[in-house]
Amino acid sequence: MSMKKAISFLLAAVMAAGSSVTAMAAEGDVLKVAAIETAYGSEMWQEVCDAFTAQTGIEVELITDKNLEDVIGASMKAGDFPDVIHLATGREDALTETFIKDQNIVDLTDVLSMTVPGEEAVVSDKIAGGFTETSLTNPYGDGKTYLAPMFYSPCGLFYNAGLFEEKGWEIPATWDEMWALGDKAKEEGISLFTYPTTGYFDAFFYALMYSVGGPEFFNQATNYAEGIWETPEAQKCFDIVAKLAEYTEPTTPAQANDQDFTKNQQLVLDNKALFMPNGTWIVGEMAEAPRAEGFKWGMTALPAVEEGGDGYSYTWFEQAWIPGGAQNQDGAKQFLAYLYSDAACEIFAKAGAIQPVLNISEKLEGDNQMFYGIYDSGAKAAMGNFAAFSPIEGLDNRTVWFDPVNSLVSGTMTEQEWIDGIISASDQMRANLIQ
Amino acid sequence: MIKRSGRGRFIFLCAAPATILFLIFMVIPTVNVFRMSLFKRSAYSPTEDFVGLDNFIRLLGDANFIRSMQNTILLIVVVTVITFAFALVFAAILTMEKIKGQNFFRIIFYIPNILSVVVISAIFSAIYDTNNGTLNSLLSLFSGKTVAILWKGESMVMISLIIAMVWQAIGYYMVMYMASMSSVSQSLYESASLDGAGRIVSFFQITLPLIWTNIRTTLTFFIISTINMAFLFVKAMTSGGPNGASEVALSYMYKQAYTNSTYGYGMAIGALVFLFSFGLSALVNAVTKRETLEF
Repeated sequence: MSMKKAISFLLAAVMAAGSSVTAMAAEGDVLKVAAIETAYGSEMWQEVCDAFTAQTGIEVELITDKNLEDVIGASMKAGDFPDVIHLATGREDALTETFIKDQNIVDLTDVLSMTVPGEEAVVSDKIAGGFTETSLTNPYGDGKTYLAPMFYSPCGLFYNAGLFEEKGWEIPATWDEMWALGDKAKEEGISLFTYPTTGYFDAFFYALMYSVGGPEFFNQATNYAEGIWETPEAQKCFDIVAKLAEYTEPTTPAQANDQDFTKNQQLVLDNKALFMPNGTWIVGEMAEAPRAEGFKWGMTALPAVEEGGDGYSYTWFEQAWIPGGAQNQDGAKQFLAYLYSDAACEIFAKAGAIQPVLNISEKLEGDNQMFYGIYDSGAKAAMGNFAAFSPIEGLDNRTVWFDPVNSLVSGTMTEQEWIDGIISASDQMRANLIQ
Repeated sequence: MIKRSGRGRFIFLCAAPATILFLIFMVIPTVNVFRMSLFKRSAYSPTEDFVGLDNFIRLLGDANFIRSMQNTILLIVVVTVITFAFALVFAAILTMEKIKGQNFFRIIFYIPNILSVVVISAIFSAIYDTNNGTLNSLLSLFSGKTVAILWKGESMVMISLIIAMVWQAIGYYMVMYMASMSSVSQSLYESASLDGAGRIVSFFQITLPLIWTNIRTTLTFFIISTINMAFLFVKAMTSGGPNGASEVALSYMYKQAYTNSTYGYGMAIGALVFLFSFGLSALVNAVTKRETLEF
């Protein structure tokens, strides 16, 4: 008898708990926003959420963390999704890519024609040209936008401008000049190149493909067109990376992991390597690090392939999106629209995060003015990335294209082995393209 | 009769919580891993397609998986052998010999075991640094020329992992063996020494056989924990790099399941690792079976 009582009590308790949970869920349209905390810090997100609540009356529950994937991952596996996720592609955990591959994200095309809360302008009038037409925001190439472009940053080769002044060296405009500079620097015991991790090669390789073969080659290559990797353009790209590997600081691959990558960045600060591919966040990331005397950040686009050719700088940007399982999708869309409001852009810009809206570069100061002015000084903007394909067991872009650079530098893999791997992977990816 | 049924109910009630918890948190998830390994699905999406044994067939042809499995086996064998040899020798020295500061050494050896893997990886990041690292500096000091070994480079990265894992594990097993060694009666050693047995002979003839049960148990523990610890060490120290050179089975499984959206494929790796560790433990248990000696 007593056992029955205990069990019924337990059941009643469970029911009560369950109903109170549903009551809570039904109670309000609290908007759950999850944003990655990067070098820009997390305060700006709190400020923007507060401003959004003040504007629209919608309560926001904010989660920010440096390892956002670990924080929201568990509850998402259990079916509890945030309404808005702000996260960049190209991260180790590839959460955004996972949702893209699964076609588990909400179509945001209608957000573009929404009015920004508190303003009269429409979202699409505010976002700078080209940002909502790339394969990063329209991953399936069907003319629909699934990811909202966020904080952009020109990527390029970062160097110590002070050292170049001191030595009287010129920034190379072509790859031939680059190799000549590499030989000159070698005599002084300085390596030409280093990279934080192989993950940084995505922006580098995209810009390289643009500068070698222009937008058309880039589009074919990132869509895994048949035979594209055997063209002279592709061969040129591979040759440049392979040659660059020879000029790379030899300790780089041993430090190209998530724990030691700042040691590679330090090589540039210590004048042990001249160039590294990176983004504008590097200034904040290495703000506390010791550096050589007279150190001054400089940034240049990738050199042109031949004299008079185009130099390209890849425009890296983050994305905000709505997972398919989000409960409050209407609120989420309003929130996304609000992210492009003048008020939000200003809050973000204060922390150094630059929204891809028109006329923002006029408001920048200091290093950022130089970085974001790269496109005004002749470099062309490269945008886009590899097209999404449905998941293939044991195969992803990074391990095929970029991780082998480590082996090229240490000499354990030949250029041809690298290319063979790419060709075979590219065939499988083409067959699995999401149409 | 009433009494007996009351007793049965009591036993049932006592055993039920543990059994229910075991079912919910061990048996069902394990069965689920095997079930999911037969599907093509991703970690966050509700759709799944049954693919039978396709995931397993693909695994056998996946060079990266084979390499990660080789690395795992290398770690299990080498780390186990070295750790056990050192742990036994140190335990014997600290229990049998009268050394000043015995407790001090015991604590020093045990400390790595208290540290979290993240701390250990930070320590070893400083030790393995190519330019200013402790290890290269020491080698340079003794060899008289500048040594620049790339400890986390492709050719050395597994050795670096082995060193860190051995360093971390020795203390724990040493303390275990010290406990069982100190329970071996002194009179056995005394009579052996009267018969002319030296220290090394008594170690192999008396100490080892008498603590054999303990060694067997810890060996099984150790194999299973090496598989798990290898994942933590790789994740914290090398992220599986450079170019996959230090990938182990579980880190590869994690990559496939969570970052490559091939959850089913990851679960297939999980299922294989489960069977592998199960089989290996059984094998070790069978091979090390001896008649229990008592004194």
